[in-house]
Amino acid sequence: MTTTLHDRPRTDTVRGAGRASRRHGTGPQARQQRRMFLPFTAPAILAYAVLFLAPVGYAIWTSLYKWDGMGAMEWRGLKNYQLLFEDPFFRTSLVNTFKLMVIGGTLTFAISFLLTLVLREMKARLFARSVLFFPCLVNGMVFGIAAGFLFSPDGPVNQALHFLGVTTPPKWLSTDNLLPMILGTLVWTATGYYTAIIMAAVDQIPPHLYEAAELDGANAFQRFRHVTLPCAWDVISVCAVLWTVSSVKIFELILLFGGTSSSYPPAESWNTALYVYTQAFPQATVPRLGMATAAALVSLVMVTVVTVVMRRLMRREPLEY
Amino acid sequence: MRSEHGSPGPVRRIATAFVWCVVAADLLLILWIALTSIRGSTDILHEAFGLPLPPHFGNYAKAFDEGGFGPAALNSVVVSTASSLVAVALAAPCAYALARRRTRTSSALTMTFAMGLGVPGQVLVVPLFVGMAQVDLTDSQFGLTLVYVGLAMPFTVFMLTGFFSGIPAVLEEAAALDGAGPLRSFVQVVLPVARGGLITAFLLQFISAWNETLFALVLTHSQEQITLPVALASFVASAQLNGLDYGTMFAGVCVILAPMIALFSWMGTRIIQGMTVGIGK
Repeated sequence: MTTTLHDRPRTDTVRGAGRASRRHGTGPQARQQRRMFLPFTAPAILAYAVLFLAPVGYAIWTSLYKWDGMGAMEWRGLKNYQLLFEDPFFRTSLVNTFKLMVIGGTLTFAISFLLTLVLREMKARLFARSVLFFPCLVNGMVFGIAAGFLFSPDGPVNQALHFLGVTTPPKWLSTDNLLPMILGTLVWTATGYYTAIIMAAVDQIPPHLYEAAELDGANAFQRFRHVTLPCAWDVISVCAVLWTVSSVKIFELILLFGGTSSSYPPAESWNTALYVYTQAFPQATVPRLGMATAAALVSLVMVTVVTVVMRRLMRREPLEY
Repeated sequence: MRSEHGSPGPVRRIATAFVWCVVAADLLLILWIALTSIRGSTDILHEAFGLPLPPHFGNYAKAFDEGGFGPAALNSVVVSTASSLVAVALAAPCAYALARRRTRTSSALTMTFAMGLGVPGQVLVVPLFVGMAQVDLTDSQFGLTLVYVGLAMPFTVFMLTGFFSGIPAVLEEAAALDGAGPLRSFVQVVLPVARGGLITAFLLQFISAWNETLFALVLTHSQEQITLPVALASFVASAQLNGLDYGTMFAGVCVILAPMIALFSWMGTRIIQGMTVGIGK
């Protein structure tokens, strides 16, 4: 140890050459770091490669075959993708995934901004924030089951409506209404989470900016538009990416919405996750693993494209404050 | 810190009232689920909102015995705890090395891990099912644990890398001067300082493993191996054939819900911070 220390004269650090030598990997610290690098990273890389990256590669491979999981794999090339887009069920689920992403995202972020606006200047905001945050820690099935009971034909919601004089309430859980109901539940459970992230960013904004804006006579909305939004923009764009990724993963909420799980939920409410599940693990027919992985990869491409486009569109000069 | 304005405008008052309504709705929903879980099924159908008089704690006994929620709860605890522990144990040294060594390789690796964040679970479900079947690890808690460890890698490494870069490197330099090797200074100097971040990473992983449904449904099926979400899904499925037993169903819902409520009331700020700061950076 002492010998290596002598390699680097004290003056080097002062002149900043220590930093340079670190970059070239000659300093003792750098040598240590290089020696530790492989043993430290190898286990995680191995787990990631075997349990995550290899499966992604295998999915790409499988998506080019016709395969029921048992018999021989039959080469189909890109025909799986063509068949996929000819399948009305897949088209519905792709459109639904988009609806959840775009409509759900717009509503979630609009409400999150409103909540941030209100919560910022509210009493007991920490408590309110915590309660609003909690639903994102709950399994989506819980909301599906609760909604299935609350909105059942003779359920409490309809009883309350009947009491208010509404004799023909909407058929909440009919096939046509399932997706809007799912969307509503999703927005309700997700807003708290995004509000918490945006608020964490908003808390970092120095109060003097708000005070200055107030002195200039800015109202709450103007303060939001000209102070909060630009200062929190970075975090908001990360949130948008996060939403895109997580909206495509939604599964258990749809699977059990309205308590429908003795058979799969009606195809009108599927998203691509459900489509993959029903193709790969069908109840009565032969599994179509090639189609399932192809559908999964389409949703991966969708996430990637939307994310890249969004990051492009949302890029702004970073703001120093 | 915050300047008080005179009297709040009507818009603000309405908005504040609205926020409190949503907060109240959230709390009431949880309260309603808890109360419904100890009411008789006929009472529930008769009157959706009501007090559990007399309380039917038998719902829980029934859920644990007939619904299979008992063994499932145990499995959930085992799989979630084991997978989160292993995930953090693997990710921590890796994230530390990535945070400290700034080279092209390390930033490429960091990117590779971060890219995993964008891969939806449905891409992995078929390959992992096929792969696990080949090594005979389907319908086993060990197999499910392994899968959760793999799924946890991107987020845990990503989050901990951010966390470790926030710890000043002076600490290890001092340790190195005292003659500690990299392993020793990591274990004895860095890890104790990083305890908070490790606990947060563990908690977040535990929560996501506890609620994970897709892989659990696909990879486990026998009563001895399933986790709570699978038990609940199959209970709902069988309830549609045998008539709805809402009391027992909500008892099952409570078994899934209760640990999350407990964790959140105990470590709420830490969980919120972990889920927000880790992403905000």
